[in-house]
Amino acid sequence: MIWREKRILLSILGLLLLGNIVFFLTYRVQYQSRLDEMDERLAQAQGQLDKTKRQRADAEMSLAAYRKVERDVQLVYDETWSTQPKRLTAMIGEVKRLAIASNAVPRTLSFGTAKAEDKTSSTRRLQGIGAREVSISFSVQATYEQVRRMINLLELSNQFVIIDQIALSEADPTKLTLTLRIKTLFRDEPAPAGGNTL
Amino acid sequence: MKPLHLNLAARPYRDYRPVYAAVVVLSLLTAFLMLQNIDTYYRYVHETQATRAKIAQVEEQTRVETEKEELARNRLKGLDLARLDEQTRFINAKLAERAFSWSKLLDGLESILADDVRLMTVTPGFSEDGRIQLALNFQSKSADGMLTTINRMNSDPHFQDAFPSSESVDDAGIYTFDLSAKYLPGAVRETSIEPVSGVAR
Repeated sequence: MIWREKRILLSILGLLLLGNIVFFLTYRVQYQSRLDEMDERLAQAQGQLDKTKRQRADAEMSLAAYRKVERDVQLVYDETWSTQPKRLTAMIGEVKRLAIASNAVPRTLSFGTAKAEDKTSSTRRLQGIGAREVSISFSVQATYEQVRRMINLLELSNQFVIIDQIALSEADPTKLTLTLRIKTLFRDEPAPAGGNTL
Repeated sequence: MKPLHLNLAARPYRDYRPVYAAVVVLSLLTAFLMLQNIDTYYRYVHETQATRAKIAQVEEQTRVETEKEELARNRLKGLDLARLDEQTRFINAKLAERAFSWSKLLDGLESILADDVRLMTVTPGFSEDGRIQLALNFQSKSADGMLTTINRMNSDPHFQDAFPSSESVDDAGIYTFDLSAKYLPGAVRETSIEPVSGVAR
């Protein structure tokens, strides 16, 4: 009877005690595990950060690799191959100079782009590549040593010249007729803006 | 005489002492626990403050890194990798052709040619995997010129899989024959551009 009369006070006190006991058991007793849990969260966050950093570095490396390759490709196109108007005469001049240097001056020189109707056989536009391949054929009469010297000079030339084919035939007992087909590449010129035509 | 029992209490007497004792005990226990809990809470907040700040900092860094990664990936998506890859392969093939040493090839052919066999034409073909296939045309004064040439090519490490495609003889007794063979030169003179195939993930 006396407990029932004071039940409100006792209930409040009981609830307060229960709440404190729960808090005590949760925080005080498991204090270290709470701290450990916090450290674990930090470790997880750090792991996630490291993973994200790696992924970012991979993506940026891929981007940098693309840029590097793009620069290298552009360098080959712009510097090594250049455009036909800029480099064609220099290349022909170089071939002639090397022929003189090897004492094997060509009797005939045939240029693929000389005739417009013959363009497809000697000038091949490489679709999507942005380059044009031009081949030049010529014949020389020379000794084998002169032929070898000419080939060697072409190989060492600063011009981007590819020896495509070599054909030899006997001109006389001491000399050979060398037919040489060389080729080079030129970067396509950008299309002119506006496109005015006559 | 009957004893007189007078009850002058306004209400019935009850002994509340156990109740008060329980209230006091409960209050003291609650107060003690509450103090302990408050102390624990402040200590927890104080001791984990640095850790929580560190976690917040790390999470912020993660967010920044994620944004940077997405930016880089979006940039990669916008690039024409296929075209650059095609250009790179093309350039590398041409660089390989340019690097090809005819002098070495002619030296190699000189070493395998018999006295009565003469090289007429040679055309190298370059495959994408870097292999070089030679198409060769010879003339010989003897009937076994082709066999000798094939045997000599097979015994030379620079040539592989020598195989005839045709042989003919003219009225003057000159034999003309065509061979194909793989050519394995020593070193490449110029460097190539790294393909971009591995860039996109």
